[in-house]
Amino acid sequence: MTTKTIRAEYLKGLWDENPVLRQLLGLCPTLAVTGTVITGLAMGLATTFVLILSSLVVSSIKKLIPAQVRIATYIVVIASFVTIADQFLKAFFYPISEALGPYVPLIVVNCIILGRQEAFSSRNSIGRSLIDALGMSTGFLLALLVLSSIREILGAGTFLGYQVMGPWFKPWIIMILPAGAFITLGILLGIALKIESKTKRS
Amino acid sequence: MSLSSRMILVLTTVGLISGGFLAGVAKLTKERIALNIQAEIEEAIKIVVDDAEVSTVLYEEEDLVIYREMEDDGQLAGYAIQATGVGFQDKITLMFGLDETLTKITGLTIIDQKETPGLGAKITGWDAFLQFWEDRDATGLLILRKPPVRTPSELLATEINSITAATISSRKVLEIVNLSLEKVRGLIAEGKIPSEEHDDH
Amino acid sequence: MPNSEYMIRSSPHFKDKDSVPKIMYTVIIALLPAVFTSVYYFRLKAVVLYFACLVACLATEAIFLWVRKKPFQSLWDGSAAITALLLAMTLPPDLSLDLAVIGSVVAIAIGKQVFGGLGYNIFNPALVGRAFIQTAFPVAMTTWIPPVTLHVDTATFATPLGNLKFQDAVVQGTLAPLKDLLLGNTGGCLGETSAVALFIGALILLTKKTINWRIPVGIILALSVFTGLFWLVNPNKFATPVFHILAGGLLIGAFFMATDMVTSPITPRGTWIYALGIGLMVGLIRLFGGFAEGVMYSILFMNTIVPLLNRSFRPRILGERRKPQ
Repeated sequence: MTTKTIRAEYLKGLWDENPVLRQLLGLCPTLAVTGTVITGLAMGLATTFVLILSSLVVSSIKKLIPAQVRIATYIVVIASFVTIADQFLKAFFYPISEALGPYVPLIVVNCIILGRQEAFSSRNSIGRSLIDALGMSTGFLLALLVLSSIREILGAGTFLGYQVMGPWFKPWIIMILPAGAFITLGILLGIALKIESKTKRS
Repeated sequence: MSLSSRMILVLTTVGLISGGFLAGVAKLTKERIALNIQAEIEEAIKIVVDDAEVSTVLYEEEDLVIYREMEDDGQLAGYAIQATGVGFQDKITLMFGLDETLTKITGLTIIDQKETPGLGAKITGWDAFLQFWEDRDATGLLILRKPPVRTPSELLATEINSITAATISSRKVLEIVNLSLEKVRGLIAEGKIPSEEHDDH
Repeated sequence: MPNSEYMIRSSPHFKDKDSVPKIMYTVIIALLPAVFTSVYYFRLKAVVLYFACLVACLATEAIFLWVRKKPFQSLWDGSAAITALLLAMTLPPDLSLDLAVIGSVVAIAIGKQVFGGLGYNIFNPALVGRAFIQTAFPVAMTTWIPPVTLHVDTATFATPLGNLKFQDAVVQGTLAPLKDLLLGNTGGCLGETSAVALFIGALILLTKKTINWRIPVGIILALSVFTGLFWLVNPNKFATPVFHILAGGLLIGAFFMATDMVTSPITPRGTWIYALGIGLMVGLIRLFGGFAEGVMYSILFMNTIVPLLNRSFRPRILGERRKPQ
């Protein structure tokens, strides 16, 4: 594998095939836990952990799995890592785990993860799968960070819990409510499409 | 090997390996998770009952746990009541303290809630809501004060302040407390609490 | 086209004398009585709010026209001005200006321009702006002041509907008198308080046939029947239908907002369902909901099913069978 393909394999997850902004995958956690940066970050990291390890496992045992039971096998692998992540958060980051609620266990059904196993890890080498998983999870994490930063700053006037807006600022409560998640995501998707069409044309 | 036996073999192996892994992880984290939950409850008790050091569960049912709190020297510090009820969005779990005679609320704190951020979630705020719960009368029904007042001294002992734009959430908390107090009074009447005969153990 | 003798053109072939600016300015004129009464009752606060909303709406519209490379003259077609007026009229008089500006920007940007501008929006733009700031700043949006004519000395004041919902006004006997509701001598959003002023505006629109009469009639009918039933069963607990019609934002909503040509159905049957649905929902929210007033959410909700109504109640083509085999 040349350096160039490694770079391309990694970078595609950041923009061209960004799971949230371009593929519109994993929108449930994207909308649900981005009310504050800390929960968005925790969700992004938990998903990163699950995606990377699942991709590693799936790509290393891909030849052994009969095609008929591949989805079942992927799900067992993914669910194991999700449970580990969930237990870990509960044991060492209890408040964050409480704030994320059911959304950590729900990583099992995050389409990004199953989608990458089915579309990539099951037909590529371990190395390439690792790079792909890294790129995809970075893309997911970045999208969650952007979304949660906008929502927390406008919705509470804080960033990671620290006051960033002056006393004149009145928090826009709607931004930390579900409606704010939809509006912000809609605007971000619109901007992403606009940028995409501009770069394609030139 | 036939295809179906290969399928069974692969799925069983993957299942067994992951099961083994999870059992190991669960063993490592179980204790810490239990400690976390325990710590959360103890912290809540300390907020609502002064000088509480040793807790004993006096009574337990779904959505209601009553703790008796002792000071270091074995003196009765008060009682802590953990109650769960329906809020505006989802269940609210709270803890409130009663004095030694079970006639006065000494304080209240919210353990778990999913009320609207910025509105109903103000029930967790000290200035907006919790400060108004100290020294409330626990012998009768508590009433919500609308529109809200600024300081606790403006309230009667039987009144609880409401929250501007979050009246429903504050009323829900009040309903949970009223319901638990009623149960507590029932238990006192039945002689189930305070259970003095166990004191010398 | 090689000098053809015939003019070849696609439909429509009949054209009305009405144009977008003409319709829009008729609506603005119809709004003026209520605008003037609000200035009378709330003085400088009203003037400043109207001004802020107008400037913010027109500026947002201009920026979007520039970015989208659209002709600038549509800035003056009156549609942005109507959005500004309607938004300002549904704001509490004491609202601070920055919130009004945020509402105006959202109304034009998210309510109208992201869909493609006038004619493409799904929701009434003014109500989108209002819904946004209602949810973003719930306390500021439910803090009311008495009109200067009442000479009461309180900082805050409850609207007639707020009194009804949260203070049991019927039981207490403190319900606002109908005379005050007619004249507008009561608390509430800027332009919603005076029923008479709104009726004058409605008359202008109805005689000029700018609005579809079925919409206000349907809304008022459904609300009267719904609240009337409860009032008949227990007049000691529920307010009269007349009170429900005159109080709050029902009239401004029924005459000026639900009737928005872009966001209301085009066929008579669809229109009836739309209007009755709004009236019923207003009744449901006012009597059983968590809010004192429900006109905004009712209209926005029924806006969402307008495309469905338009498709379901398409008029039959001449000669088309009632039930196609």
